[in-house]
Formats: sequence, C-alpha cells, structure tokens
Amino acid sequence: MLGIWIGKLILWVLRLRGRDATSLPGKVALRISPGLIRRFGGQVKRVIAVTGTNGKTTTTSLLSGMVVEREPVVTNHKGANLAQGIATAFLRSCSWTGRLSADTAVLEIDEATLPAVASDLPIGVIVVTNVFRDQLDRYGELDGTLAKLLEGIRKTQATLVLNGDDPLCRYLGLRSSRKVMYYGMARDTARSPRREQMRDGQFCLMCGRPLRYDGFWYGQLGLYRCEECDFVRPHPGFQGELQGGFLRFSEEGLPDLLLDLPVSGLYNAYNVLAAASAARALGLTGEAIHGGLRAYRPPEGRMQRFELAAPVTLHLIKNPTGCDSVLDAVVTDGRSKVAVIGINDLAADGRDVSWLWDADFELLAEDQKLSYIVTTGYRAHDIALRMKYAGFPESRIRIEPELAAALQLGIDEGTAAGAVVHALVTYTLLHPAARWLSERRDEREPQAALYRTSVS
Amino acid sequence: MSHKPLCIAHLYPDLLNLYADRGNIAVLRRRLEWRGYEVEVAHVTHSEIPDFSRYHLVLLGGGSDREQAIVAEKLRACAPAFRSAVEDGLPVLAICGGYQLLGEYYQLPSGEKVPGIGLVDMVTEAIPDAPRLIGNIAVWSDEIGVIVGFENHGGRTRHGHRPLGRVLHGHGNDGVSGHEGLRHLNIWGTYVHGPLLPKNPALADAVLRDALAYAHLPDHLEALDDRLEHEARAAFVSLRMNEVAPMLKEEAGSP
Ligand SMILES: [Zn+2]
Repeated sequence: MLGIWIGKLILWVLRLRGRDATSLPGKVALRISPGLIRRFGGQVKRVIAVTGTNGKTTTTSLLSGMVVEREPVVTNHKGANLAQGIATAFLRSCSWTGRLSADTAVLEIDEATLPAVASDLPIGVIVVTNVFRDQLDRYGELDGTLAKLLEGIRKTQATLVLNGDDPLCRYLGLRSSRKVMYYGMARDTARSPRREQMRDGQFCLMCGRPLRYDGFWYGQLGLYRCEECDFVRPHPGFQGELQGGFLRFSEEGLPDLLLDLPVSGLYNAYNVLAAASAARALGLTGEAIHGGLRAYRPPEGRMQRFELAAPVTLHLIKNPTGCDSVLDAVVTDGRSKVAVIGINDLAADGRDVSWLWDADFELLAEDQKLSYIVTTGYRAHDIALRMKYAGFPESRIRIEPELAAALQLGIDEGTAAGAVVHALVTYTLLHPAARWLSERRDEREPQAALYRTSVS
Repeated sequence: MSHKPLCIAHLYPDLLNLYADRGNIAVLRRRLEWRGYEVEVAHVTHSEIPDFSRYHLVLLGGGSDREQAIVAEKLRACAPAFRSAVEDGLPVLAICGGYQLLGEYYQLPSGEKVPGIGLVDMVTEAIPDAPRLIGNIAVWSDEIGVIVGFENHGGRTRHGHRPLGRVLHGHGNDGVSGHEGLRHLNIWGTYVHGPLLPKNPALADAVLRDALAYAHLPDHLEALDDRLEHEARAAFVSLRMNEVAPMLKEEAGSP
C-alpha cells in the first residue's frame, strides 16, 4: 500500500513538472512493495504480453489502441518494458487506494523480464514479434534469449501468437507445448536475398542441420525449411499481404480486412500484422482493429519528421537487423542527403558496439545521394571508422561527439547543399535528439507550438 | 604492383559470425588494397571443405555454443591438413569461439566436453554459475603495443604457450592469470573483439606481414594514414579505461 501511495506521489510530482515518467515511480514503489506487480496482477482479469526483439513498442501501442476501442486498458508507454515500467503502467491507471478500473492490460515485456513477472500476472496471450540478435552483452547469446522466453512462456497457460516467418519463433511454438497461432506474410511476396546481410538462426534448432530458404522478407524472416527433419515454416493462420499503402489481412472463414499502415516499411507492416492477429485471437471486431490503427500516433524515432531549415528525419537504430531496415529506408529516399549518426554505448544502447560492423553500412557508403556524414555520441569515432572501412571518403566525415552541435552541423550542411538530413541514433540519444529538434522547430514557428503536444 | 592475390579464408562465416568478423575481414582487405595488393577472400561455408593449401591467412570467429560444436566437428575432419599448414607457418587469427576451438576441448557448463582440434596445448572450461567475463578490455603486447576492444566469454582458458599479452583492463583468458590470448607459430588467438582489428591497426598489419611472408609476397608494408584509427583508440580509452591512456602514448609506432 505504501509503495502504491509513494509511487503515485512521484508520478504526480513529475507530472506537475511536465515530466512524463515511464519508470521511476514503479522503480521506487517496487523497492518499497516488492509484491506490487502480483497485487495488480490479481486485480486484472487478463494480460496480453508483447515480447520479442524488434517492434514490441509499436505492436503494443497498436494492440492496446484496438483493445481500448472496446474497454479501458492498462498499458506501458515508450518501451518501458522492465519490471519498473510495468509497475509504472499500473500506477498510472490505479486510484490512490490502488484500485484499477480496467480489467485488461496490454504490456510490452522485455524478453529477460518475462520469466520474472510471468507468474505474477494472469497472462492469457503472449505475442512474440521476432527474435533477433540484440544487445549481446545483456544476455550472453541468442540461445540465452530463447531460453528466457521459453522459461517465461512455461510459467503461464497463455495462448501464443507467433511470427511464423521467424524460425526462432517457430522453435518457441514447438517447444512450449502451449496453444499457438501463427501469423505471416503471403507466401508469394517473399523475395530472394539481395546482399550478404547477417541472419540469425540459419540452422535448424531441432536437429542442427542447415535451414534452406525459398525466399526472404527481411533478416531471418522467410520461407524456411530444414533439410533433414520436418522443421518448416508453418502455414500462417493470419496472413498479411502488402497492397499499395495497405495491408490485406486474411483469416480463413472471415472476410479480408484492408488495414491502414500508419507507419511505412515492411518492418512496420509486420507490427500491424502482429497486432491485428493478436486482436483477432482476443475476439476483437474488424471495427476495433481499424479504430486502433486510425488512433495510432508513431512515437519518437520511428521516422519522425521535423521541418527545419533542412528537413530532418529521426530514426532509432539499435541492432543490426533493425538498423538494416533503417538504412534501407534512408537509401530509398531519392533526395540529396546528409546523415548524422549518433552512437552511445550505455547499458540501454548495448555496451558492445561491434554490431555496427554487422549492420550493412556499406549501403550508405554506396549511396550517391549522400554527400556528408556527421558522427556523434560517446562512440562517434567508432562509427566514423566504420564508415571509413565501408568505403565512404574520410574527408567527408566529420566527428562531433556533442549531440546538439552535431545536429546543427548536419542541418547547416544540409541547408547549404539543398539536402535533407537523416539522423540515425541509438536509444539513449533518441530522446535528447527529439527534444532538441522539436525545440528548434518550435523556435521557427512559435505559434504552432501552442497546438502541438510536447515531445518527450 | 602486380602480384598474385593474397588469399584470406574466412572459415564458416555462416556459423561463426557472432562478433562482427565482417569488420575484421573489411580491415584486412582494405589495408592491403590501399597498399596496392590484390586480395581474395574465400568465404568457406559449412557445406564446403576448406583447402588449406590455397590460403595465406585463416580467420576463425566466434559463434554460440551450438554453432561452435558444429564447427569443431567440421574442423576435426580436416585437422591433419590444417595442422600441417599451420606448422609450415600458415597464419591463423582466431577470436573468441574460434580461439577456444584451437585447443583440446571446450567444457560446457553441463560438464560435457566439446573436443577442439588440438592445434595448441590449451583447454577451456565454462564453470557453472560463474559469471561471464564481459566488458571493455585493454591488453599490452610487447610485439604490438596496446590492444583494445570488448570481451564476452563464459569459458576460462588455460594454455601452455606465450600469451598474446598482459591484461591492462578487463579479464583476459581466465580472469585471474592476467594473461590474454595466445601466440604460437603464426597463430594469433584472442578473446578481444569489438571487432578486433579496426581499432588495432598495428595488430592488423602484424598479421598481414605474417600472411605476406607466408605467401612469398613483399612484406614491407608502407605506413597508412591511421589518424582516424589512433583518434578512435584514444577516444575509446579515455572514455572507458582512462587508466590505460598513458600506455597508449608509449606504444610502438604511435605518433
Ligand atoms: Zn532439422
């Protein structure tokens, strides 16, 4: 009780100061009342957990937007997916006496946190978006991530909604002995691999033999089958197909839905597919699914745009596969461009920056429309070196470890060259970059600032 | 300059690619090309049998335990050819998991022993519940100077050869001996990745000199403009291992 009260108090104080707290209230409250999550877990009827490497934040917001069309929902925001973030989500929704008015929670849960909270929450559905290599120093190795996920799943009786195009998700489905529903893209939309990109899990996790691919979407997502045993991509019960700016969503026995894609890119189409599949698994109507998509506003770092002297697009990069899809988006932009790349190596970024060499920065180096690169962050030199060895001329790389100065340099350079700016930054640089960029924007059009909700 | 190409074999990049060995290959390739050498990189995948008579340098990277066991099995099948080439002076750059594979065995936390290829007198053991040795690392090598990078390994390695160097910051082979890596014949074994070579150009050049000599190519390497590499080393060390910073100034060949 004391924990709830103090947590609420911190939340209230931070709100008064205009701060949007996602973790601190829960962190303090958990220290005082370690059983806090179990207590809240006893009050809600069902929890839908979203986990996986990439896309959990977007999928969680999309799905909670769909559920909210029907009933109030508890959800965590902006990727605060550790125990303290989950506790904060409940604290936001409860009264000062700790009562919740919602029966349902849609929670983004970090892969390593899942086993720790799984038995405290009535988890009825677990969505796993994908399992890619991410922050190796946190879990040891990829196999460790799979073990954590399995451990968490086995502590629940949840129905699993899994990405069937990902062999690592398929493995979870086979090993979990839980009811599983798979989603995936339409078979004939897979493409043959374009470059030597890094892929995880190219070997059958059941027998160790190589996996054969008849086509890929991105990363290791594709039409896989084992050469030896019967490990094969399952036929997806929920199927997506990109059609223009829409995603055609089909499920046997039900009419197709033509879904809006509030954020562009194949990578985000998978998030829409994951959310719609989970919504169907929960029995939501097509109307609720459409409503949730319409209400969605992309958060920071998902190709967020800022109209400054040179237009700036801000991207979050955090692991090779996610970074490759951002690099793809940058080189697909046919305009003249300048890049600002910010790399930090704090715990939330991953202390090991070797992933920079797994990501396909050669794509950027080969982009004829890219005239200049500014590197920034604690590891500004490492990414500069990466670009040098990718073949980008050293004379057109500028190192500026201080973020604001680097963004200003990028904008000045872009303005002088009539080019757009793409800013690619790791997690702990994202909020500072978004804040700095929106302040510059509000200086340019002060009257507009009144009508815009503040960022971060 | 017109010579035969120097052939670098990247063994099993489809299995051992955990720590961005693509970066090591890029550094070796560029540093030769900038000096006018021709380079051929042979990516030897799991379905191929390596031909050790063709290679002038072999790179073995790191993988997960499961993938490492597959590689060990593949390499044992061609161990005699590998061993005789190494005894003739074939340079081997072995990092993390690839380093562990060179020894007698790698003992998993479960107690199961995965046999290595026995190229060197070395064993590695992963002790149950012992923490992984993770973090930034700096090593002093009398041959190279300061070697910097990141380490992340569960196994503790002991061997009967010279170490690559002395740990200045971090854990090294077993976290207690103060030794890091292994030097024997033209084998360079180490736990340092990050990847290893971009921020350690002197080490890259030393390995390349071994490879050029073995290939009977001119092995006098012209100096390159390594200003960015040296700035990157200095920035990294002063940010994350500042106590090592004075050593950088003493190292051989540093401006
Ligand atoms: Zn199989």
